Formats: sequence, C-alpha cells, structure tokens
Amino acid sequence: MEQVKNKILNYLNKLKPGGMQATLMVTFSVISVLIMLILGVVLYLRFSSVSRNEIVETTRKLMEQSGENMEDYLVRMRQISDAVYYNVVKESDFSSQENRIQRGMNLIYEANQDNLKSIAIYNNYGSLMAAEPVASQKEDPNVTKQGWYQSAVEEMENMHFSTPHIQNLFDDGTMGYYWVISLSRAVELTERGDSRTGVLLVDMDYSSISRMMDQINTTNSGQYFYLCDSNGEIIYHPRQVQISDGIFQENNQTAGDYKEGIYDETFQGEHRKVLVNSISYTGWKLVGVIPYSTFTHGMLNVRYFIMMLILLMGMMLAFVNRMVSVWISSPLLRLNDSVKSYEAGEKPRIYIGGSQEIRHLGDSIQRSYEQIDDLMKEIVLEQNERRKSELDALQSQINPHFLYNTLESITWMIEGEKNDEAAFMITQLAKFFRISLSKGRTVISVRDELQHARSYMNIQKVRYKNAFAVVFDVEEAACACCIVKLVLQPILENAISYGVSAMDEGGEIRIIGRKRDGKILLTVRDNGIGMTREEAEDVLTDNTRVPKRGSGVGLINVNNRIQLLFGKEYGLKVESEPDEGTSVSIVIPAVPYEEENRKILEKGYLFGKDLIKNIEDAGGEDEKQ
Amino acid sequence: MKNSKKAFILTEAVLGFLVALLAAVMLLDKNGEAPDKISVIVENSEDKQWAAFRYGLRMAAADLETELSIVPTEGELTLEEEMELIRQEIRNGADGVIIQPVPGPDTEEMLGEIGKKVPVMLVGSQAVRGAGEYPLTSPDNYRLGEALGEELIRDCRENLQGKTLGILSRNSQSPAIQDRYEGFCSALKGAGAQVRWNMDGNYGEEEGQSLEDLSKVDFVIALDDRSTAAAGASSSANDLHGAIVYGVGSSTDAAYYLDTGKVQCLVVPDGFSEGYQSLEELSRRLEHSFGKMEDRLAGYTVIRRDTLFTEENQEILFTMSQ
Repeated sequence: MEQVKNKILNYLNKLKPGGMQATLMVTFSVISVLIMLILGVVLYLRFSSVSRNEIVETTRKLMEQSGENMEDYLVRMRQISDAVYYNVVKESDFSSQENRIQRGMNLIYEANQDNLKSIAIYNNYGSLMAAEPVASQKEDPNVTKQGWYQSAVEEMENMHFSTPHIQNLFDDGTMGYYWVISLSRAVELTERGDSRTGVLLVDMDYSSISRMMDQINTTNSGQYFYLCDSNGEIIYHPRQVQISDGIFQENNQTAGDYKEGIYDETFQGEHRKVLVNSISYTGWKLVGVIPYSTFTHGMLNVRYFIMMLILLMGMMLAFVNRMVSVWISSPLLRLNDSVKSYEAGEKPRIYIGGSQEIRHLGDSIQRSYEQIDDLMKEIVLEQNERRKSELDALQSQINPHFLYNTLESITWMIEGEKNDEAAFMITQLAKFFRISLSKGRTVISVRDELQHARSYMNIQKVRYKNAFAVVFDVEEAACACCIVKLVLQPILENAISYGVSAMDEGGEIRIIGRKRDGKILLTVRDNGIGMTREEAEDVLTDNTRVPKRGSGVGLINVNNRIQLLFGKEYGLKVESEPDEGTSVSIVIPAVPYEEENRKILEKGYLFGKDLIKNIEDAGGEDEKQ
Repeated sequence: MKNSKKAFILTEAVLGFLVALLAAVMLLDKNGEAPDKISVIVENSEDKQWAAFRYGLRMAAADLETELSIVPTEGELTLEEEMELIRQEIRNGADGVIIQPVPGPDTEEMLGEIGKKVPVMLVGSQAVRGAGEYPLTSPDNYRLGEALGEELIRDCRENLQGKTLGILSRNSQSPAIQDRYEGFCSALKGAGAQVRWNMDGNYGEEEGQSLEDLSKVDFVIALDDRSTAAAGASSSANDLHGAIVYGVGSSTDAAYYLDTGKVQCLVVPDGFSEGYQSLEELSRRLEHSFGKMEDRLAGYTVIRRDTLFTEENQEILFTMSQ
C-alpha cells in the first residue's frame, strides 16, 4: 500500500505544468467528455427504462387480448358441451331416441367442426353411447383409464379441461393421430327410463389453440408466450418438443404457482421478465417471457445512436475547445514570446493585443520595461556624474594654487619670524588635508565638515590678513548628522573671492548651522558686494560659467554631489542682493552620523532613499509634537 | 507543427474514424445480416416417414434463425437427379445442404465436388458403408436392428428354434439397411431362427410385388418405415399367412398398424432429433467458418401397442403428425 502511494506521488511529482493552450484544451476536453458521458448514460438509462416499460406494457396488452380470445374460445366449447347435454342428451332416452340424440349431436358438431375433433358420450362403464362424427371405436380404448374420464367422474360438478393428448378413441381409417384437449363432464343419461351417470366428452382440436398461440409467437426478438395449467403442465409451448427432448428448458413449474401479474426471475442464468395472465374457468395460465436480452436487443440501435451522438459532439467540442483555447491563449503566448525575446536581449515591442486584461498586462509590461530603461540610463548618468564630482572634489583637495598660496604665506611668516603664526598655519593645513582625505569616505559628520571649513577659513584669514571676520553659529544637534564632505569649502571660497575679498574692512562671513524639521540647514552668509537675482539664479544652472578665481570647483558641482546622495529635493539654495551680500544654504536631511547610515548613504540615493524618507517622516512627526 | 495541433488533429481523426465505423455498423445492422440458407434433399421428401424429421428441421430453423428449404422430391432419387437438385439449390443461394445420399461409391465423388462449394451434412447414412468422410446425423442403425432382434427374442422367450424369418426392406444396398440387418442378425445369433427370405423393393406399392406371393414365415422383419407400413397393410389384409411383423418405422402409418395390432413391435428412430441436430450442426459450421462438423447421433424408441399412448410416446406421435 505504501509503495503504491509512493509511486503515485512520484508520478504526480513528475507531472510538469504544460503549456497554457494544452492545459486549457485538456481541461475543456475532460469537462466536456465527462458531461457528455454523464448525459449519454443518463439519456440511455432513461430511454431504455421507457422502452422497457413500453415493451412490457405492449406485451401485457397483447396477452390480455389473446387471453380474452382464448377465453371466448373456451366459453364456446363449454357452450357446446352445455348444448349437447341440456338440449340433446338430458331430454332424450338413449333406448328410444337414439336417432334424435345422434341428429342433435350432428347438428352441433357440424356447426363447430372447425374447432372440434369429436363429441362422445360414455356411460358409467366406459361404453360408448353416442359419438359424432360417426366412426368406429377402437378395439379397446380403455376409456375408464383415460385421464379426462377419471377427472369427470372424480369431480362430477365441474367441467374439466385436460392437457393436450393424442385422441385414443376412434379409428376413422385415415391412420392419423389427433392432438386434442378434452373437455369432459359428468352427465345424467336416461336409458329405458332409468337414469344413470355418464361422461360427456368434447374433444377440442388442439390446432385451434396452437394457431392462436402461434399468432402471438411471431417475434424474433427472443420474447415468447406459452400456456400451462395450474400445475405448470405445458399445454402449448413454441418449443414443446425441444423441452421434451431436453434441448430447451422452461420454468413452467414455477410459472404454475405464479398469480396473475408481472415477475422478475432468473432462470438458468438468464434474467427475464415473466408476465402471467390467468384464463378464466380453466386455471390455465398464459405466460409471456421477455428475456432481458430482448430489451438490450431493442436498445442496440439507440445505443449506437447515442454513441454516435457523443462522438459527433466530441468532435465538435474538440474543435470548439481548440478554437476557444487558441483564442484565449494566443495573445498570452504572443505576449510571453515578446517578453522572452526581451529577456534574450532583443528590443522588441511588447505585444499588446487580445482581451482588455491582456492588453493592460502588455501595456504595463511595456511601460515597466521603458521605465527600467530610463532608470538604467539615469543610473549610468548619475554614476558618471558622481565619478566626475568625486574627481573634482579630489582635484580640490590638491588644488595647487591654494597649496602654493598657503605655503607662500607660511614661508613669508617664517621669514618674518612669525613662527607661532606659521605653526598655526601648518596645523590648520594639516587638519584641512586630514579631513579632505577622511580615509576615502564621501560622507562625514557635519562636525568634521565644520572643522574642515574652520581650518580653511583660518588659513584664508591669514592670507587675507584678517580682512574679514568669520563667525561660526552652529547648533550642536546639527553637528552629529551626516553630510557630503567638502561642500562648505567651495562655498566659503566663493564667499571670500566674490564677497568679502574686495571689501576694505567690515567684511564678515557667517556660517550658520540649524536642524529643523528633520533637515540640516548650513548657511554661508557674507555681507559682500552681492549680485542680482538673475545672477544668483544662474549660479546653480549655468554650467558654462568659468570661475575667475578659486579652486575651480563650482557650486553646481557641490549641488550635484548633494543631490546624488540625498535626492533632488536637497542641495544648495542661493539668495543675494546687490551691495547686501550673498547667502548660500546647504539643505540636507538630518541623518544621524552612524556607521550604518554612512555606508547606506555612500551607495547613492537609490539605496539611501528609504533611510532619508524615514528621517523625513520622523522629522515631520517631531515637528507636530 | 506544434504538439497541441498534432494532438488536436489526431483526436479529430480518431473520433472521425469511430463515427465512420459506427455508421457502418449501424448501416449493416439496419440492412440486417441475411440468415443462412440451408437446403434439404431427401428422397420422397413429402412422405409421412419424414414428418418428424421435417418438424425437427423447422423447429431448428426457427430457433437458429435460419432459412430452410426442403426440396420437394418424389420416389427414389438417382445420383444424377440428386446432383442436379443440389446444384440447383446452390445456384439459388443455399449456404449449406443436408442430403440423404444415394447409396453408391459415385456419390462420394459427387459429395467431394459439392463439399468444396458448400458444407454438406448427411442424414440417414453414409453413401458407402464404412465411409466416414462426411459428417452424418442419423440414429445408430446397427443398434436399431439389434434392438428389433432383441425384442423378437424377448417375445419368443428366447426360443426361436425352428422359427422362420422374412426380411423386408426398400433398398438392401443402403448402408443404413445393411447396418440394421447386421445388427438384427447379431442379436439373433445362436437363437436358432432361420431367414427364409430377404427381399427388397416397393412391396405393396408396385404391381407384381406382393408379400402374399412370398413363402410363409413366422416373422416378417421390416427394416424401414415403408416396408413396415407395407407389411402392416398386408397383415391387415391377411396376406402375410399369419406372420407377425416387427419393424422399424417413423410414420403414423407404421404407428397405426402397431395400434391395430398388425405390427407387434415398432422401433422408432427419433426423426425430430435427426432433423434438429443435422440443421443445428450445419448452422454452427456456417456461423464459424473454420469449424469442423461432427457426426450427431439421434436416438430411437421401442414402442409396443400397450405403450403407444404413454406420455413420452404421445410426443413421438405428435412429431409424426406434424
């Protein structure tokens, strides 16, 4: 049992899902075949049941009709017997009115000779008193030993019908032997005025009954009718001699016990329906036998017809199933093919066709692929820009012009024996470069960036002989956040070069750091010459501008680098008024400076945007509270 | 071509083939298979002696749904007449023939020719005594004769010393008669009876052939139905010089003479069975083309006057009367 179960499970596991079209086709076909089979079987069963009932009903009616005919015939025979007895025999004396009796019997015989073989009257010794037609009696027929005589004597009040037998009474010279059914009754005979008992015999021609039965035994379908008495003794059977010879068997003994009705029986392995109709006055039974094979035989053509119907429906459904499955699956298969081609590296148009749902699916896939393409391009572009920005930033780290100026200033201080100042400069320069390198990191803390700016401004202040003031106004909360490194220095450089360097005195650069709404705002504000609104707008958009002075790293570059890491909504914001000064603000999300956050941000905006989103949401919530 | 398309075309083709097959079956069934036609050729076929045989044939034909044709013949057939009748029946569409063969070796040759065309079943006896090339349905003729002899011995209380016998038959050349005679002689062997004459011919039917002219014997043994009827008729006319008749018979005539006491004992071959079985066997062969027909044995019944109307024997009279 376990092995069989395992085998079945293995087999099921081996079954792999087939193509959509085949699956649809097989599913439709299986359902169709099942429906057709169920329909066919139900139809056949219903039809065969109706047909069977029809056959049984027809047979029953036929038997009823035949039974009535037979009863009529037997009533006529009884009437003949009555007529002979009451009209001829009872009124006459055999000793004196023999001719009258003979004449009367002759008249009755002549009127019914088609159905009769003979009419005879025997006395209580079995001697023949009169007979019609007139024929010589056999030498010693031993009448009193014959069944019909004994029945009449034993039950004198009744008429008795015998089973068929050879008439063994008369010799008519034809050397023939007649098969008759004897109707006998006890009668009262008068001879010389004395009354005595006798037996009146009416021998009915068996062929009359045989003909009646033959007429209903004409079908070749296997059904037949026979006649038996109440003891089951056969009176007529279409295979009478075969039964006697043992060639054929009949369940007549059981049929003798049946009452009028319809029975199911199994005889010698054959299932059959038996209809029994009683014949009045005689106790005879007309039995109709319908083997179940007759029903089947009658249903053969119907069976063929239903089978043909099922096959034709099968053909039609296979065709329709095929059409439907092709119709349903074809757009999907074409869509699948175009996706496969796409996956194989080709650039086909994604198939858009078929039903509304499939069209929508194709359209979505097409758009997805297009978006993927755009994103890919964007990523490549961003990567390129990032590399370029990094290169630029690296370039700024080793700006030879800045280094030359700084070193010159140091040299000048040493020559002027300003050793303390020279030492301060060297210290600041060292810090400057240490943070510039930052172990190759792109993201550093705001604190480090401010330190870097401080170092830079200290150096520049020395170079510019403290021509301007530098003020750092940064909240401590902002210092612990992440920032792209070296973004303040180019802004400060611009503030010096374009803002305060030209001022004789009173120049001030203020670095303000704030943390608001989940964002860090680092502003470099100078009170220099400023610029117009248009010029301020061009600072971040006009890529063609060439810096007149400074490291050569423009604000656009700074802006790009911020946006590469924090997204397009962050970056620089420039505000300026001529003769009022310029304010350049760095806006970045307030991402706490942690190693994990730093690593995420360094991978770029695509990887860090979830983190930034969380920070923004958290900032928004804090603000509400 | 895709697999699913192949499967679809294959399915449609198989279903189409089944529809065509079913249509053909329905058409054949509607037209109906013509029943096998079997022709029967026996001499003097309308004679009473064949009544039970004919009835047996008719019953078998009805049971087996076979078309039966009993060729009407009168008197004895010659080989040529029989041959012509068989050919005529084959031309008329007979699928098989049941033949009572004309005795003689030439008949064997004729049967060989016919047997190549249609299956042949013999009834009565083989054409040549001892030959067994063709299937035969008949009673055991030897045993029939033997039974007749046994009845005679029983009646004479096994004392036949000095009794004389006259043997009567229609055709002493017939293997059936020869077998019966041999069986009869075998039963009487050592009983002391003496066969005074052994005559064959149409006694009682043709002029110049009267049993009265034959010498007086104690017993006349008639080996076939016609001879028994002839002997019974002669006995009725008191032309047998008081001889007691024992005979083989299958007609109501023979039964009548038994009934009237003109025949002492009658051995009745089962004609019904002979007819039924011969047709049944031939029909079976026609149904199974490669089947081989076998010999079938019909029974016989010994009837005496006092047992003529027993229930069993009334059935025999019934078949004789059909």
